[in-house]
Amino acid sequence: MPADSDTARARTHGGALLASELRVLFRRWRTWAMLAALASIPVLMAVVVRLSSEPPGPGEGPPFLDQVTNNGMFVAITALVLTTPLFLPLTVAVVSGDTIAGEASLGTLRYLLVAPAGRVRLLLVKYLSTVAFCLAASGTVLLTGWVIGAVLFGTGEATLLSGDTIGVGDAVVRSLLVGAHVTICMLGLAAVGLFISTLTDAGVGAMAAVAVLTIVAQVLGQLDQLAWLHPWLFTHHWLAFADLLREPVVWTSFTENALLQAGYVAFFGALAHGRFGTKDVLS
Amino acid sequence: MFMARTWSRWLPAAAVPLVVAGSVAFAAQAGADELPERTPEDVLTLLADRDHQPFSGEFEQTSDLGLPQLPGGMDLPDADGDAAAVTAALEALTSDHSGRVFVGEQDQARLQVFESFGERDVIVNGDEVWVYDSDENAVTHATVPADDRTATPDQRFTPDEVADQVIEAVGPSTELSVREDVEVAGRAAYDLVLTPRTDATLVGEVAIAVDGETGQPLRVSVTARGADAPAFQIGYTSLDRGAPDADLFEFTPPAGAEVEEIAAPAEDQGRDAAEHPEPTVVGSGWESVAILDADGGGITSEPLLAQLTTAVDGGRLLGTDLVNVLIADDGRVLVGAVPLERLQAAAAE
Repeated sequence: MPADSDTARARTHGGALLASELRVLFRRWRTWAMLAALASIPVLMAVVVRLSSEPPGPGEGPPFLDQVTNNGMFVAITALVLTTPLFLPLTVAVVSGDTIAGEASLGTLRYLLVAPAGRVRLLLVKYLSTVAFCLAASGTVLLTGWVIGAVLFGTGEATLLSGDTIGVGDAVVRSLLVGAHVTICMLGLAAVGLFISTLTDAGVGAMAAVAVLTIVAQVLGQLDQLAWLHPWLFTHHWLAFADLLREPVVWTSFTENALLQAGYVAFFGALAHGRFGTKDVLS
Repeated sequence: MFMARTWSRWLPAAAVPLVVAGSVAFAAQAGADELPERTPEDVLTLLADRDHQPFSGEFEQTSDLGLPQLPGGMDLPDADGDAAAVTAALEALTSDHSGRVFVGEQDQARLQVFESFGERDVIVNGDEVWVYDSDENAVTHATVPADDRTATPDQRFTPDEVADQVIEAVGPSTELSVREDVEVAGRAAYDLVLTPRTDATLVGEVAIAVDGETGQPLRVSVTARGADAPAFQIGYTSLDRGAPDADLFEFTPPAGAEVEEIAAPAEDQGRDAAEHPEPTVVGSGWESVAILDADGGGITSEPLLAQLTTAVDGGRLLGTDLVNVLIADDGRVLVGAVPLERLQAAAAE
């Protein structure tokens, strides 16, 4: 592969490409609008709980909501429970579906490939910038959740699912783990999105396809008749982060999920490489 | 030349599934260590004579009894008394569970049963017994002298307990055999098979995987007569023979939890006995039928349970692959791992 043998110059070029890609991504209004929408969820939730006259009882509302009044940290975790099935993947679908198809529809893909970067490098850079967005997205929910929770409810001891009590420091570690799990969950989806994005020149079409796929995978995950398929769905472990809130932590689902997502990244990354490498770039 | 180049671009995409399939097959194939030959009686002795050892393990329970799965944690508005107990038992049997067991020094144990966003814990530490339900944020506490403690309902759901209950029931009506060694939770194990000597039961066989080294039961599977796959299975998925952290057995009720103190067990048992009369057992071994003088009519009036049962001669039948329950017209409830005819005969006697 010529691009890989192009030593240091090409590598710095790749770095520059990534930096410019990130600049473009995080200068877009669309990116900030999506992050703001994500941030509004923990804020809305915390304000509503604060203003309501009766605190939610155990088992009422979304998971962990009743814990919120004891420890503001749980706002972040409840917000992640709410955003993981739909809202978060939707934003990842928009960013990942747009990677190649968006450039193609704008007619800028040709110019990106004129630079001696190579198609493999461009794919990698596009994927890494999507990963950066996944981090930013779950980080936004987590951070806003922490801040609004600490402001409205204060921090204190938190109760794990097993009934054990942990202090503030431990609660921060646990919610960071949950954030890490959710981010890893989005990596497979981002790779699927990258592949779909190489299939078409219509950015919106690719975004919609990725979003629909997310829903379809979750619906399939609900059907008992397809139990054999469930462990292979990229959505299978999305809400399994409850296992990180037990005492001691159950790592099985976290590691299984990481392996599964790695498999998705490898497979759909390879598919994207195959498709993009053989594609005629006309626009 | 150009074609070859095009194809080589797709090679990685073809290689990834192969690598995944290969590693999955390899992991599944990793064979068990060779264990010395043992007769069924030796394996039974190994199982019965095992020493108390600290360990921690994750377990899984799956059941496919041929019943529709009841939605877990469902609240039945007007279910109370017997109907609620039956629904709870059905829920426990028809849904799959996973969880963890920690066993420390003598009289130290902790059981965790996982739900998707919840957990039920039973912690035993010396005389102290704590039960925690995260959905309700409710704690139940009892002080029970270790001597007169019986297993709490939740404790029945560990492979150890299930195996002990099965072994207790083994009598002359059972044929014992040992199949090819199996691997459970990374341990080489004997596969002890219990086959009923009679045709008058729904149970085809019960297989217990017994750890070849320690004698600990690692998995129990019950297969219905004529079926290929187990209708009920409970087993460890991973096992760690190290002593668990002692802090796990120290339980302090979390802030805001409702704590209910349960009185001394003697009194408790008295109350229990009044509510749930002891069943009469007819027949023996695999063919035994338990007859409860409960108010069966109340159970069938529960719409959900009425839907699960079918009308048969002499009452209504709740039929599963392993167990039949006949709610007789006179309100008695007959339970047994036997065909319907046997239940009807027992009801008529």
